[in-house]
Amino acid sequence: MALWGMVIDLDRCTGCQACVIACKAENNVPAVGEKEAKRERIISWMQVLTETDEEHHGEKMRFIPRPCLQCDDPPCTKVCPVYATYRNPEGIVAQIYARCIGCRFCMAACPYNAKYFNWHTYQKEGPGQNPDVSVRPKGVVEKCTFCHHRLQKARVRALAEKRDFDPREYVPACAEACPAQAIFFGDLSDPVSEVARLARSPRAFKLQEELGTKPKVIYLTEGEGGG
Amino acid sequence: MTSNTTPRLLLLLVILGAFLTLGYWVNCSGVEQPIRFPHKTHLDLNLACTTCHYRAEKDAVAGRPPTALCLGCHMGGDTQSEEIKKIRAYGEKGQEIPWRRVWRLPEHVFFPHQAHVTAAGLKCQTCHGPMETLTRPPARPLKTLAMDDCVGCHKARSAAQKNKANEARLATVTAQRLPTDCIACHR
Ligand code: SF4
Ligand code: SF4
Repeated sequence: MALWGMVIDLDRCTGCQACVIACKAENNVPAVGEKEAKRERIISWMQVLTETDEEHHGEKMRFIPRPCLQCDDPPCTKVCPVYATYRNPEGIVAQIYARCIGCRFCMAACPYNAKYFNWHTYQKEGPGQNPDVSVRPKGVVEKCTFCHHRLQKARVRALAEKRDFDPREYVPACAEACPAQAIFFGDLSDPVSEVARLARSPRAFKLQEELGTKPKVIYLTEGEGGG
Repeated sequence: MTSNTTPRLLLLLVILGAFLTLGYWVNCSGVEQPIRFPHKTHLDLNLACTTCHYRAEKDAVAGRPPTALCLGCHMGGDTQSEEIKKIRAYGEKGQEIPWRRVWRLPEHVFFPHQAHVTAAGLKCQTCHGPMETLTRPPARPLKTLAMDDCVGCHKARSAAQKNKANEARLATVTAQRLPTDCIACHR
């Protein structure tokens, strides 16, 4: 069984936000409007966090693209009273909108602010939206799913063509869109896969590792490419 | 409450009830198709469901057939049938028949027809009911599916599958051939 994971090379990330936009388009992530945005209700499954470099204060920015980190030991799933969010056997932390009662316990539990609440009905299903992804109703929590609909579709394609499913057929929209090729995706349980190799690199680190969340989105420190 | 207001309140309730019933009736009177298509006549000719709903074998959605496909059989010769004349009229105008969708799974469900039709070899009737008996288009789905219909079938089949060595091998290579994981179907 695969263990899906992502490696983001901070040396390559230019902070261009292509991943953010690709994610919004792919996953029907709603624009909440100016009024809601002012109340800090923006929904953005992928976010490029910015940080000033400690060594070069005020001169250099650090860009950290942050999807849901798909923690292998996720705090969010443990607090859900209705099993609307859970870690699936392949490590994807899933969110079942039809089941979510909107209590937002999981939002409070996520240390990475990766979850978002639908305060209103922001959109209806219609042309221009991705038919593979549902439009979330009012009152549920949503977050990055590693584009799991792409996995569903790739599997079905393999099944219908009566052949084996190749893990390389499954790539999330952000990884596909990144012009700097900073985002790698694949099966962490396969030791020869590129993500597994990069995850073993000495540059690899995890966000707030000390919390014991075991994120499956792994970063490579920057500063190496600059020499 | 005085005895004077009670009859008025009752009248109000009756009117409200009448409105609700009317609303329900209008809502549930069902889908009307542009052509009175008889499934039975076609299936009695030993046509397969996928002869017309051919997308079911390739796509997630089965869809309704395009005009050209109907005309493939209904083009030549004289006809007395008003319905066939309608098809030809659509064809002459270069229009698609405005079939209306009857089946609609909830918006949060991912159901790929092709895997169920080709790989699993399910009969369409398993979910759609006895469509082959219909002499006119169904106004509404013949069956109402619940989540348990999906999960029940997946569970029963994966139990059966474990007993077959070859099938079990397939289950590991394609990983989760008969998944009961929530996000296999929830999107
Ligand atoms: S908001 Fe939804 S997913 Fe989160 S804990 Fe509550 S019910 Fe579970
Ligand atoms: S990043 Fe947050 S939402 Fe994602 S799995 Fe971890 S705790 Fe849950």
